[in-house]
Amino acid sequence: MSLLELDRVASCRGSGVALENVSLTIDPGEMIVVWGERRSGRSTLLRIAAGIEPPDEGTVRFGGRDLADRGSEILGDEIGYCRRGFRPERGLTVLDQLISSQFARKVPQATALTRACLALERVGAAWCSQLPARDLKTEETVVVAIARALTAEPRLLVVDEPTIGVDPLKRDDILKLLRSLADDGVAILASAGEGTAMLGADRVLSLGKGTLRGELSPDLAPVTELERHRQARG
Amino acid sequence: MTSPVNWTILGLVIERPSYGLELANRFQRVYADVLPLSGDSHVYSALNMLEAREMIEIVSRTKVDRQPKPHYRATPVGISSYEDWLVEQIDAQNRSQELWVRQLAIFAHDPRLALQLLDRYEHRFLKDAGAAGYLPAGSGLDSREELIDGLVAEQRRVAVGGMLSWLRYARARFEALAGSGDGDEPART
Repeated sequence: MSLLELDRVASCRGSGVALENVSLTIDPGEMIVVWGERRSGRSTLLRIAAGIEPPDEGTVRFGGRDLADRGSEILGDEIGYCRRGFRPERGLTVLDQLISSQFARKVPQATALTRACLALERVGAAWCSQLPARDLKTEETVVVAIARALTAEPRLLVVDEPTIGVDPLKRDDILKLLRSLADDGVAILASAGEGTAMLGADRVLSLGKGTLRGELSPDLAPVTELERHRQARG
Repeated sequence: MTSPVNWTILGLVIERPSYGLELANRFQRVYADVLPLSGDSHVYSALNMLEAREMIEIVSRTKVDRQPKPHYRATPVGISSYEDWLVEQIDAQNRSQELWVRQLAIFAHDPRLALQLLDRYEHRFLKDAGAAGYLPAGSGLDSREELIDGLVAEQRRVAVGGMLSWLRYARARFEALAGSGDGDEPART
């Protein structure tokens, strides 16, 4: 049984079709990047996969259970959805943001502090814990957003365009971070509008006119760990 | 001079004045995956040609086991010619891409077949896209080899995005053609 399964999902936008008959499965430890141009439906696909919005047709199952039956409880817990924005009411510093974002899930303060510190450590951003969140550079914002999602120890991490607007020389650090999280067993579903954001993906899919193309199931695309990428190359 | 091997050897001499055997070794190390070398003798014949065209010159000759061992360096003519050749390579790349597109376009008479072919091509293309331009851990821009790795990786990854965009466009064009029923008549043999 796959961790996440989209079965014949469709989504409409006004008079147009954002997704049409999309089926996709993701296993633990897989990193999947969905490439698409603007208005291709890639963000819609990610929001539906994360359970943020329901599909108009089809089903989305996480761990074998229909997301429609589980409501929003799963979001932010087993499924982490990275949002770049910071809410001012959640505190000034990066650490404040990571701690207070857990309160909605009723995490005790001491536990929230521990998880926040561990998550920042994991993404290599412990150094910026006391910085004002609004002062972060783009790439730092992305990494901290990933850390914030990791505080819930999700099994699936959904990231919409993780490298957009990021300094080219910092971009690979973010992609390698996502790859390393996948190697640790977290499934990663990311979107990309450019070829440079596909680094390290086990599967790259393309989305256009609502149709998803590529290896839609992991059976034909075995998970490739970071070390094997390295060996294959050199 | 049309041989890419000869131009590549000239580039290696420009990078660092060298002996023939050292050039052969560097060639294998840097270009083995992308430009096959038939043997070390190819390097020596290339050096002779480059010297005859005054693109390189002998700096010194030392003897090893009674064999003369010339040490080559690039001349200003060689450096200038190499720069011109590099810039002209854009034409070769464009021709290669145009050739492929023209070969695909023979299916204009049957746009549905062309669309199937595009699907197959994209499927195959996506299969390796995640590994395209992979950079090993620890890469930075603090050494020559890492710089080359980084530049090659970025070029491949940008190309992946460009090709996916082109496939989207090509599909739209063939879909429009299929919808209009304006496919050309197939060639008769």
